[in-house]
Amino acid sequence: MIGAGNMASVHAEGWDAADDPIVAVLDPDLERAARFAADHATDVVDDFAQLAGSVDVVDICTPTHTHASYIAMAAEAGIDVVCEKPLARTGPDALEAIATCDRAGVQLLVGHVVRFFPEYATARELAVSGDVGTVGIVRLDRSTYLPAGASAWFSDHAKSGGVVHDLMIHDVDYARWVAGDVRRVFAKRISDSGRGDHVLATLRHEGGAISHVQGSWAYPVGSFRTALEIAGSDGLIVRHVATPFAGSVSTTEEAPDVPEPPASSAESPYVTEIRHFSDVLQGRAEPRVTALDGARAVAVCDAIALSIETNRAVEVAP
Amino acid sequence: MIRVGVLGLAHVHAAGYIDVLMALDDVEFVGASEPDGLLRSRWADESGLPAFEAHGSLISAGIDAAIICTATNEHRPVVEQLAAAGIPVLCEKPLATTLEDAHAIVRACEAADVLLMTAFPMRFSPPLIEGAAWVEEARIGSVLAFTGTNNGCIPTDHAAWFADPVAAGGGAVMDHTVHLVDIMRWWLRSEPTEIFAETNQVMHPDADVETGGILTVIFANGVIATVDCSWSRPKGYPTWGGLTIEAVGSEGVFAVDAFAERLEMWSRGTTSWVDWGSDPNLAMIEHFIGAVRGEYPLAVTGVDGLHATEAALAAYRSVETGQPVRFDSLVPGDPTR
Repeated sequence: MIGAGNMASVHAEGWDAADDPIVAVLDPDLERAARFAADHATDVVDDFAQLAGSVDVVDICTPTHTHASYIAMAAEAGIDVVCEKPLARTGPDALEAIATCDRAGVQLLVGHVVRFFPEYATARELAVSGDVGTVGIVRLDRSTYLPAGASAWFSDHAKSGGVVHDLMIHDVDYARWVAGDVRRVFAKRISDSGRGDHVLATLRHEGGAISHVQGSWAYPVGSFRTALEIAGSDGLIVRHVATPFAGSVSTTEEAPDVPEPPASSAESPYVTEIRHFSDVLQGRAEPRVTALDGARAVAVCDAIALSIETNRAVEVAP
Repeated sequence: MIRVGVLGLAHVHAAGYIDVLMALDDVEFVGASEPDGLLRSRWADESGLPAFEAHGSLISAGIDAAIICTATNEHRPVVEQLAAAGIPVLCEKPLATTLEDAHAIVRACEAADVLLMTAFPMRFSPPLIEGAAWVEEARIGSVLAFTGTNNGCIPTDHAAWFADPVAAGGGAVMDHTVHLVDIMRWWLRSEPTEIFAETNQVMHPDADVETGGILTVIFANGVIATVDCSWSRPKGYPTWGGLTIEAVGSEGVFAVDAFAERLEMWSRGTTSWVDWGSDPNLAMIEHFIGAVRGEYPLAVTGVDGLHATEAALAAYRSVETGQPVRFDSLVPGDPTR
């Protein structure tokens, strides 16, 4: 396990469920690494080189801007990689990571967990099976608050890419999964909410579908709202928001540092995801999300960021 | 007693407005005029109410106020006729299919000094009035962003002209953009300055107009907003559609569903949503009648209709260029702005 933060613990639950032992944990913050090691009965290493020869796969759960270099180290050591999304900080970096892994002959899997949320997976299955005809308009919303405390790197655009690359990317990937690749984007951002950024983006897909994607860290602390709607030529799929709100959402002191999306299933979607990755790594399944999907999602997010910066509609290179 | 006539029966709202006029005290419904013989005779047979072939005949019958329910591209000559006769007008939205016509409609009524109201019933919707108050009272601090949806079934089941590029001036963008833009202008007291639009025709590919649209609207005060105007509710949907707005502000968020006041009913194999809340159409017409009586100025005017129409037309310009369109490029020197 590379990184011993919040996401590492979330993934660890999945590796436990898959019966794949976590051999070691690496984190520059040795205190945090020691805590993780104690919690998950594993050893701390302080240098990537110590992992070579002793692990089959590394799971990268570090800040976004460090993903590409850890992937390169793993490829060089001949170790398969599971990487939390985003695959890299920029689209070109993500493509470079894929090329490096291909050359080294190692597998590269990317954690777009929304594909493992049963309500999202089921809606996508219905949509692509033609139950609502051809997909025309997709609406996706992910509105929460800025991760706090130890995860302050989230709020550093250079490191995380901000709300677009860190949060909205979930729905960018999902929109691609449902409606195909993205040809053009237009987006606007509010940066002066006094909280986190709020972004509204329109994606034009290759086949003509349009997605409206809202990603927000400007929602009150403690809230996490997700919504899903797919309209097609012959029908409509809606995931109702269970408790629509009216008036201001009250804040709570007990909110976790890192927001947790509402998940409804008996099994955590992260566990489903890691078990699936375990199957893929052992040749028992085809990946539900490829590294190229991960790179495309980053490229679309790059285009969204450029649109925000330039106030222009931005074409996404195929 | 205010004598009111309805000019045109082409619009789906005509029958509902007439019901309201019949129900109101101190209002006399004089009749409806409709040049289309089939439309006119069907309505006359069903209602047993006075029907006129020519709009001029209804005007000559003596009316103090008029509601226009023709197809959109026919608004202008009818408004000009009414303005010339000095009769106050409540005109269906959108005001016109072209900027030229929209300006002419506003000018004609200004020149004749007659009241011109645009039929924006959402101005009289209690949930949206509450939203306006929340903005006014800065309940979420200053508003920074809106996410708006005004989705519906394709309205061609009511009348084919709604999807006629000439009669309606377009499809979903023309039909639904104006409501949300008007609500946002009303709440913000700020004008849109720029618009970007993506449209498609995946739903109802056989129609002659766009059926899907996502618009991004920028207001003069910096607020960003999106408008989903798509006819994305399928056949068999429990109601015609709906309208929602979500607001993000410096101190919080709120969301309003203009049609949340409803019951869900399952009956004889179909699901339907039955409104139980107050009727915005009734409140809108009552307001119009009060203004005609001179009790107060109009809360929503022809100029409001003009600005909302501009937004829809700017959206079409954006679709042509594939880039955001600034309003000042659309109507340089617009005297109403």
